[in-house]
Parts: sequence; structure tokens; C-alpha cells
Amino acid sequence: MIGFQTIATTSGLIIGAVCGLIPLMVGIRLRQWKPALIGFLACLFSGFACGFLGGLPMIIIATAVVISYSYIAKDDPFLSRASIDEVDFEESWQDSILRQMSSLGRTTRAATRALIRNKAGFIGFIGVMFFFFMTVFGPSLIDYDGQAHYYDRMKPGAITLFQGPSREFPLGLDYQGRDVLSHMVHGGQKLIITAVQAGIFTTIIAVILGAIAGLIGSIPDRLLTGLSNFILTIPQFPLLVVLASIIEFDQRIFLALLLAVLDWPTLMRAVRAQVLSLRERDYVEAAISLDLGLPHIIVREVLPNMISYIVISLIFSIRGAVYSQVGLVFLGMVPFKEPDWGVMIYMGRQQGALFLPEASSMLLSPILAIALFQLSLVLFTRSLEELFNPRLRAGL
Amino acid sequence: MMQASHPPQAPSTLSQKLVRALTGYTARTLLQGLLTIWAVITFTFILIRKMPGNPVDIKVEQLMISQNLSYQDAYNRAAGMFDFDPDAPLLEQYLDYMWKLIRGDLGRSITSSGTPVLDQILRYLPWTLFSVGVGLFISFTVGIFLGMAMAYWRGSLFDNVMTAFSSVLFGIPNYITALLIILILGVQLEWFNVGEMLGGVDQDVKAGFNYDYLRSVMKHAFLPVLTYVSATVGGWMLTMKSSTISTLGEEYVTVAHARGLGRWRILTAYVGRNAMLPLVTRLAISIGFVVGGSVIIESIFLYPGLGKLLLQAIGSRDYTTMQGVFLVISVAVVASNMLADMMYGFLDPRIHVSGDR
Repeated sequence: MIGFQTIATTSGLIIGAVCGLIPLMVGIRLRQWKPALIGFLACLFSGFACGFLGGLPMIIIATAVVISYSYIAKDDPFLSRASIDEVDFEESWQDSILRQMSSLGRTTRAATRALIRNKAGFIGFIGVMFFFFMTVFGPSLIDYDGQAHYYDRMKPGAITLFQGPSREFPLGLDYQGRDVLSHMVHGGQKLIITAVQAGIFTTIIAVILGAIAGLIGSIPDRLLTGLSNFILTIPQFPLLVVLASIIEFDQRIFLALLLAVLDWPTLMRAVRAQVLSLRERDYVEAAISLDLGLPHIIVREVLPNMISYIVISLIFSIRGAVYSQVGLVFLGMVPFKEPDWGVMIYMGRQQGALFLPEASSMLLSPILAIALFQLSLVLFTRSLEELFNPRLRAGL
Repeated sequence: MMQASHPPQAPSTLSQKLVRALTGYTARTLLQGLLTIWAVITFTFILIRKMPGNPVDIKVEQLMISQNLSYQDAYNRAAGMFDFDPDAPLLEQYLDYMWKLIRGDLGRSITSSGTPVLDQILRYLPWTLFSVGVGLFISFTVGIFLGMAMAYWRGSLFDNVMTAFSSVLFGIPNYITALLIILILGVQLEWFNVGEMLGGVDQDVKAGFNYDYLRSVMKHAFLPVLTYVSATVGGWMLTMKSSTISTLGEEYVTVAHARGLGRWRILTAYVGRNAMLPLVTRLAISIGFVVGGSVIIESIFLYPGLGKLLLQAIGSRDYTTMQGVFLVISVAVVASNMLADMMYGFLDPRIHVSGDR
């Protein structure tokens, strides 16, 4: 994919810079210097991180933010200086684009403010970003130390190759004398990507099935409710252990799918209940009787009430997927390749690092990384709650 | 169903009505529960037998390595050890198993030759029930009180500190907590000797209802219980806090204040009882998961609970034991879900358990 090949390379930087020129130019033209500069930097950053996949959407968002600072709604009687007779309510397509861009920009700004306003949520956001940058940019900065070292790194008088933190190796050495820091930096990427995939699959399955059950009712509803009861009754983790021995996970995306298959019932029930209750609400009935059309009803009336719950449960699915993956590796049930945080914990335990004080670093590093990542996700949901709560956002 | 919606021409007594509603509802729930359990048994039965390798194969491999036998010799010996024919058709095995199960026979463990599965389960179950149960009880009680206090003094320093604390506890996976306890408290700070704390009970203590034995059990259960408590108490605290906050805004609380009732009376009888409602249902549901214990925690602390039994059975492909453990866990989950439903109706008179929906 064109997006991920350019991650953290010079070409990514160039893509980011080119993308950044657009909000910069727009900003200079509109004399909005600060937003222009921030927009440029944002594009540079996301182009650097994700290539075109990050750069192109960021152009739109950054430009929208820049425009929103100087946009004056034509038909707003408080801002427009023209008298009411002169205002032309027919909109040209340029105006329509401008209006929509500025509304997108305003939403982005409000969202950013909501993100920063909740302290716990902001800490979580920073944490998530930290792990994102570490797994995306880290590998290009720190080389992977995968070869076993024997006596060249052994301290005189030591019995094992384990070492505590030192100036040369900030996180110490593992049981084969390899640099723990390099394993930390290289070992998180697949874990986090698989977890995010599992979360997304879970959400998609749950929302679709929940909507089907809630909207159609009758037999599909009964079947899906029965199925979700069934899945919730089987002990999840033991089942996962059994399944892990049947399926060979040569590709981690299968594991993501499997995790999603076991994880959807809770969210599906919630979506179904929401759909059922929303169908009865006054404003939805009003929208139906006004004949506003199904897309409008779904996008404008129903979705805003569910999106908060869905996104938060996506985060919790990601968290659950990290838990299950590391748990499986920890029990030695899935043979994942190094470097991987879970494998580090597993190998550390196998090699007796649990009881050697000088070996603690090899275990503590992945353990703390996983704990902090999970914690950041949980804290981040606080900000999301605020972000998606229309009542809280309106007050901004 | 609302009382008022009944047509007036059916003057049946209250008890009659209650009995009718209860039997209809209970019968249906029971049937549904049984159906779910049957589905789980069937599903796990097929799944377990689809796992690569069967108990005979694994034993053959072990014998070939440990006693240097040829494949044929090892196979003959292994096949003689087990009361199990891996080549029998799946359907035949299934019907056989179900027929025995209906008569309450869970079969015999395949690998530990001849021990009835029921005995195995009864031997491991108490440990799990004890450790997870105590953990759940402590974390629920502590969570309720701290959560209520957090809601009552919301916005204060206490609330902020406790909210941060509970988020941290809630965010960290339980096996990570377990490893951290061993690594930091045990190895780095040397507060206790980890080696002595593992396992279920000291080897040299005789089982029985005496001080030494109980002390040993308590000592070994300490780390798992500590892990369970710290992994779940955060969730209880946060839920209780939000539940209490929403109860504090109810009108009947304002009315109680206006009537001049004492602060403690309002807090316990008016706020606490109502705020606890949703948590009690949750508690009932999590009791179901007590039985399953935690596979990973028990394997870290070498605790002889059901999770460890299950993991052993999976490792040696002990089909019948695996099946038995899955059965026990799913029965517990189904039963506790029913319990939760009933408790909710019982605790909250606003919700009547009725025939429809």
C-alpha cells in the first residue's frame, strides 16, 4: 500500500510538506497566520506518519480549520452587513463548499478543545499517541537487536546474560544479551495493529447485526439474540485457548477476526436496544412524520445518539484484544514471532526472569508498556465521552 | 405488565396470579437456559475433538521420548492405558457422552486413568470458588463504599484522587497486575518470598479444619485474591460512583432532605439502596464467572483451581475433563444470569417479572 510504505521516510516527509502547502497558502491568503502554520505542521506530521493516507485527509481538515476562522456566513443576520433584501439565499456551489468546510473546521476545533479540556482524557490521548509514535517511528530510529549475544556482552562475574538498565542499554539486556529497548520499540507494532483490527471488526459486526436485529425484529432478532446469549455463555478465554490450538495463526489478521467473532455480542445487544428505543423517541417519530428520508434520519437523528457508545466500545474492544493476545502468548498457546511484547513476557518467564532481580527489566518493560497502553485507552474514552456528547459540546 | 391494563372481569387472587406468572416465566427461562447449555456442550464437544492431536497421540509421543519405545510399542501401551478409542465416529462418541450426561455421569478422565471427571472438578472447584469468591466479595464491598463516598464528595480532592486511582486499577489487565505484584513487591522490594506463596497450600500441612491448615490456605490465597481485588475494584468504584450521582439527583432524595431526614438515613436508605440496584445485578452475573476463575492468574500463581485444571486438560487433550469444566462453567453462567433477572425483579418493585418480553 502506498500509505504505509512511506511511513517515517524522507518521501513521507516530502508528501507531508507538499500536502501542508495547501492549508498554508489558504491561510496566507486569508491572513490567518497561526492556523496556517499549525495546519502546515499537522499535514507535515501526518504525511510523515502515514504517507498519502494521512496527508490527504489532513489537507481537508487543516484547510477547513483555516477557513473556519475567517468564514462569515452570508445568511447570518448578525454577521452580515447587507440588509435582508440584498441577501441572496440561493447558494453557488463555491459558497456551499466554503460553508461546509467551515462547519467541518468548527467541529474539528470544538473536538480539539473537548479533547484538551478533560485532563484525564488528554493524558490518555497523549499516552495513545506516545505508543503510536513509538511503534510507527521507533523502528526507523532504533535498530532491531535480534541476534543472540553470548559472552561479548556479559559482565564479569555474572552468571546470566540478563542485565539491569545501564547507560549503554537504557532498559537492560534480555536472556540472550539483546537490547530490551530495541525489542520494546519493534515489538508493539503488530500487537497494536492486530488489536485495532479486532476492534474495528467487532464494531462492524456488532453494529450491522444490532441494526438488523433492532430494525427487522421477528425471526432475525430471535436468532441473533440467541446466538449472542450462546457466545456470552461460553467461557471466552478458555474457548479462545481451544480455538487457538485448532487454527494456525500464520497471519495475525485471522486472530483479529477470531477475537471479533467472540467479542461482538455485548455491543450488538447495546446497539439493538438503542435502535429499539430510538425508534420510539419523539424526535425520530417527528423526523419520520416530516418525511425527512431514511439517510437523514439515520445520519442526523439516530447516529449522533449512538456514536459515543460505539466509539467507546471500540476502544474497549481494542483493549480486550490486547488482553487476549498477550494472554494467549503468555500461556504459550500462539507461537508469535519475536519481537513481540507478549513473547517477551513469555520468554522472560520461561527463562526465570521472574525471580532474578537483575532480569526484572526485561519483564517490567513490556509489562509496563502494556499496562500503560491499556490505561491510556481507558483514560482516552473520557475525552471521547465529552467529544461526542452534544450537550457538552454545545457549551464550547 | 401493568396492573391497570388487566381487564376487570378476571377476579383471580393475587397469589394465583403470582403463581401463574412465575411458572410461565420460570419455565420459559429454564427451558432457554437448558437449550443454551445444550448448545454449548455440543459446540465444545465438536470443537474439542477438532483440536490437533488426541490424548493417545500425546501419550505416545511422551512414551517414545521418555522410554525410548518404537511407535508401535508406545501406541499399544498408550492405547491400553486409556479407556478411549480415537477412531470411533464422532456421532457415536457424542451420543454416548450425552446419554451418560443425562444420567449425571460426566465420564472418566482420559489421561489420569480412571478418575471420574466429577471428582476432579470437585477437587479443584473449591479453590477457585474460595479465591475468586473472596476477591469478588472484597472488591464489591470496598467498591460500593468508596464509590458512594466519591459521589457524595464529588469534585473534592478525595474524589479526584480516588477516580484517578480507580481508573488506573481498572485499566491494567489482571495478569499484568499479578506479574507486577510478584516482580515489584516480591522480587524487588522483597516484602515476601514469592516461592513460598505459590501453589494452593503447603505440602507438609495436613488437610483438616485446624489452625495450621487454614493459615496455609490463607497465605497461598493471598496473592490471587489481591490480584482479583485490585483488578476489579476500580470497575465497581466507578460504576457505583456514577450510579450514586444519578440517584442523588432524584426527586425523592430532595423530598427526603425537605422532610428533614438525617443525612445518614438519606445516604443509606434512600441513596445507597437505589444506587446499588444495577450493581447487584452485575454482581449476580459476575458470580457466574467466579466458577471459571481466571486461567491466566491461576497459572501464574500455580493455584490449583478450575482454570488450571482446564489448562492442564487442554495441554494433554483430556477430552472428558475439558468437556466437564466447560459444562460446569456454562451452567454457572446461565444460572447466575437467571439469578440476576430474578433478583432485579425482586429488588426493584417497579419492574415486574411478567409473561411478555
